[in-house]
Amino acid sequence: MPELIIDGLTVRNTTTQRPILSGVSLSVRSGEFVALVGGSGSGKTMTAKAILQLLPQQLEVGAGSISLDSLELIGAPETELNRVRGGRLGMLFQQPKKMFNPNRTIGKHLREPLKLHAGLRGGEARSKVHGLLAEVGFADPVWGARAYPHQLSGGMAQRAMTAMALAGKPGILLADEPTSALDKVLEQQILELLDRERSQRGLGILYITHNLASVAAFADRVLVMDAGQIVESGTTDAVLGNPQHPYTRMLLEASNLAPSGISESRTEGRTALALSNVTKHFGAGSRRRTALDSVCLDLKQGEILGVLGQSGSGKSTLARAIVGLEGISDGSITRTPTPGRPSSPTAVQLVFQEPHDSFDPRMTLRASLEAPLRGLTVAQRSSRLNEAMEEVELDPALLDRLPNQCSGGQLQRVTIARALLLEPTVLICDEATSALDALTQRTVLELLQRLHRDRGLTLMIITHDMDVVRHMCQRVAVLFQGRLVELTGTAAFFADPQHQHSKDLVAAAIPCRGLHLKRMRSVRN
Amino acid sequence: MITFLAKRTATLVAAVLLSSFAVFLIPYVTPGDPVRKIIRSRVAGDVVDDSTVRALSDSLGLGDPLPVQYLRWLGDFFTGDMGLSHISRTPVVDQVLPALGITLSLVVVALGIAVVVSLPLGTVAALKQGGKADKLITTVTQSFIAMPEYWLAPLLVLVFALRLSLLPSAGWNTASSIVLPAATLALRPISFFTSAVRAGMIDALEAEHIPAARARGLSRAQTVWRHVIPNGLVPLSTLFAVWFAGLLGGSVIVEVIFAIPGMGRLLYDAVINSDIPLAQGGVVVVVALAVAITTLADFLHRILSPKVSGTLA
Repeated sequence: MPELIIDGLTVRNTTTQRPILSGVSLSVRSGEFVALVGGSGSGKTMTAKAILQLLPQQLEVGAGSISLDSLELIGAPETELNRVRGGRLGMLFQQPKKMFNPNRTIGKHLREPLKLHAGLRGGEARSKVHGLLAEVGFADPVWGARAYPHQLSGGMAQRAMTAMALAGKPGILLADEPTSALDKVLEQQILELLDRERSQRGLGILYITHNLASVAAFADRVLVMDAGQIVESGTTDAVLGNPQHPYTRMLLEASNLAPSGISESRTEGRTALALSNVTKHFGAGSRRRTALDSVCLDLKQGEILGVLGQSGSGKSTLARAIVGLEGISDGSITRTPTPGRPSSPTAVQLVFQEPHDSFDPRMTLRASLEAPLRGLTVAQRSSRLNEAMEEVELDPALLDRLPNQCSGGQLQRVTIARALLLEPTVLICDEATSALDALTQRTVLELLQRLHRDRGLTLMIITHDMDVVRHMCQRVAVLFQGRLVELTGTAAFFADPQHQHSKDLVAAAIPCRGLHLKRMRSVRN
Repeated sequence: MITFLAKRTATLVAAVLLSSFAVFLIPYVTPGDPVRKIIRSRVAGDVVDDSTVRALSDSLGLGDPLPVQYLRWLGDFFTGDMGLSHISRTPVVDQVLPALGITLSLVVVALGIAVVVSLPLGTVAALKQGGKADKLITTVTQSFIAMPEYWLAPLLVLVFALRLSLLPSAGWNTASSIVLPAATLALRPISFFTSAVRAGMIDALEAEHIPAARARGLSRAQTVWRHVIPNGLVPLSTLFAVWFAGLLGGSVIVEVIFAIPGMGRLLYDAVINSDIPLAQGGVVVVVALAVAITTLADFLHRILSPKVSGTLA
């Protein structure tokens, strides 16, 4: 009966002496689905790393014990730990595509745990690799084994990662935000896959996440973490149904994005941006792929349009085409200048998904933000920057930091500030809040709403998060395989989606309303 | 991959054709009568009187349009007829091929030394990043950049040939003749390779898939051997090819100092003596080989790093 018990675990930063984890106690038993939730920086990931004894160099376990089937992991010899890691303890990571060596095939990756933990080699290992890939849902496991990581979609990469974690037949699986980078439909599929392993062979799962909707749907028990401490724990029903700790209530509140009551679509307004038959092909000849297929869309001034679609549906290509980062193969994109303002090529700005990836890591934020303001004097630039920072509710002192000295939420505000510097009329947010935890996401969305209200900014919000659409948008556009398959008012969309793909999206996106999901799950089993 | 192969091969051929055309034009753009220069590279005996010149010019087709002459010249060239040297009056191909062999062995040994030295140095520096070993290795190898060959070569000769009498000071007679020139030539690539290996290894060490490999149960050593070193070496393949191509014609200083009858020396002499056919033969062979090597390195890079083929798709 595999069992992971952590008792009074304390982890400190050896240079700053700052505590990272203080007295964390938890347990995961065979066949249990335990969720560990909390905002970014709460210590969730460090807990997983401590369990595997793979803490970053500057961190050190101060006190406590971590035992797996009565084997103490703290201070265990490396050879013993190497048998445990990937053997009795499996691990899933966030951003699965980055967790594979880009120069090796998926099959070669899978052979490693098979050789280390099951002693399989040669033909035996090959057939086991194919078997595992088939088990996690690869339609063509032979192709999957030969594929390189970059050839897989995010969802397939997480399936392959799951196959790799299951290869050593672990009793306990640590899943660190395994679905945060995936859309709702894929998230559902991956979690169902894990849940099947749990019910069929008694896998114990520690599911680390900031997504409470998935917790409600799958977890038996919930632990809430804040500032390195477990602040609340109990059954999913109890914690989500009747939260005691204020932090839990805050998390729950932030996850529950209700319609915000922004007035219905102003379709009578002037057109800010008109897309007509926008088509984009990549590649040529037999390898030609159509990313956008005759997309026609009008963006009205002052509206908030949500653009939905799965990974690979052409959402990002559309955004990049509109701001001119990507040429289009056919069709036209027309911007209507606002009366009283000169037409400017910078009238449409884009906010990217990964805040850390959208800054030069060697430049201070000030240097990054000043780049487009070359024509102005030093004093003018400085005052414009300060204004922009205040607009996004940040301390201008942050400007002199490097990107990696800021949190994801702060940086995402800075990207918005950078976009605002150029006084855009339209702001396109490409998954701008997907990488952020629920609390931070909430505050960024509120900022966008305020900018929309105060500045009359037209927003185009590209997302796979249905809650964000419901919360923010007046109209919804659905992209499916590069085509615009639905364009309608938000209320109508959720009440009566027309296209089959829209129906799937709405069905997969049941909002976090606590307990009724739990019941759905027991019906399903 | 197939289209890439076809494209790169086409570029290779185009580059060789373009440079060979420029080389072909040398007799026409240098001072003097092109016809007489070409006849001199084609006919063994000395030709002085105008009637013979005219007759030979007709029989060699020197009145034909330039493109036709170029194609004929190219055909002769790649079937091994590179003409006669203006100075030695012997076939150019008989001088170019031995010189190429000598330079190739010199460059292969020099770059071999550079790789053998820089691999462990760069790897150790990366694994001990910021430590004493790293600082020592980085400082010493970086200082090699500032040691010019015309300074280092006499120094090595002074110590190993004159003082210690261990190695020959010049010439190309015994196997030991290659040691000092190869060592001189290896010094700067050592410094560039070491810093490339170090940077590549640091990138590979810091990659996000490394902790994931540890989490599968690979020990630190297994992770380094399987996932860090192979990935960290990818950038070296390109750098290696650039140096290889560069040294083919760029080993001239070392060859002159050590009196080695290699390619650099041959080109140097050909230019000094205005030996046009010899220069033409040498330049085209070096260019063709250099382009072929860099193309080969591109293929190798694709194989080592399959993602490259998909990044801009």
